[in-house]
Amino acid sequence: MLGELFHILAAAIISWILFVTVDIFFRLPEAGGVSGASAIARDIEAGGGALSGGTMMGNIVCSPDASAGTLLAACGVYVAGIPGGLVAAALVFIGNRICHDPGYAGTTGAVLATFVVYGFTQVGFAATDFIAGMVIAILTIQGLSHAHASRLLARLWRVRE
Amino acid sequence: MIAIYLVAALAVFAAIRATVEKNTGRKLPYVNVMNFAIAGTIVLLLNHPLALVAAAAYFVGSTLEANAIASTYAGGEQRG
Repeated sequence: MLGELFHILAAAIISWILFVTVDIFFRLPEAGGVSGASAIARDIEAGGGALSGGTMMGNIVCSPDASAGTLLAACGVYVAGIPGGLVAAALVFIGNRICHDPGYAGTTGAVLATFVVYGFTQVGFAATDFIAGMVIAILTIQGLSHAHASRLLARLWRVRE
Repeated sequence: MIAIYLVAALAVFAAIRATVEKNTGRKLPYVNVMNFAIAGTIVLLLNHPLALVAAAAYFVGSTLEANAIASTYAGGEQRG
């Protein structure tokens, strides 16, 4: 029980680093992909947050990004191993096109996460640890404090620039 | 085993925060967390390859809805 909790927390940290790195690499904080993402960013800024971090959070809401890719890839690896993860990546690609997202952050994140999650299942982790871990990781960005999360993302974005 | 209860609890937590938050722009990220948690719960409940398709369909559908709500909130597409 305690071992599983430890695994979930470790998986959360790994997923967090993975999806934030991929999203920032694909320049999600730069501009809102749709007008709704920019509106969310303005509201987060009005609530005491940073605009570029808010833009990334708005983009995460409006289209499946690397965080969604990581979650669905972990789900895919859980139900069907590496082929499941790659099917998840294809579904994320379709999801991106449905949501008018021209980018490839979600698809890239899903493919990378498939191999990361599969690798960790070879060393004692379960794919379910990564499903729960990814939900915790997205909670820290989108669900606890928008002001603090957006400022942290803005700081990481400045490093990328 | 603990994963599914944790994920379900986080879905409830996010749903409560989304209900309490009054500002639409700041409400949607909480709904996003809830969508992640529900997509995870679907697969954790049903360990079957088709559960992945169900979770992805739910997730993409709810993301498109959030996208539509946010874009309408932003003023919608300017025509003409």
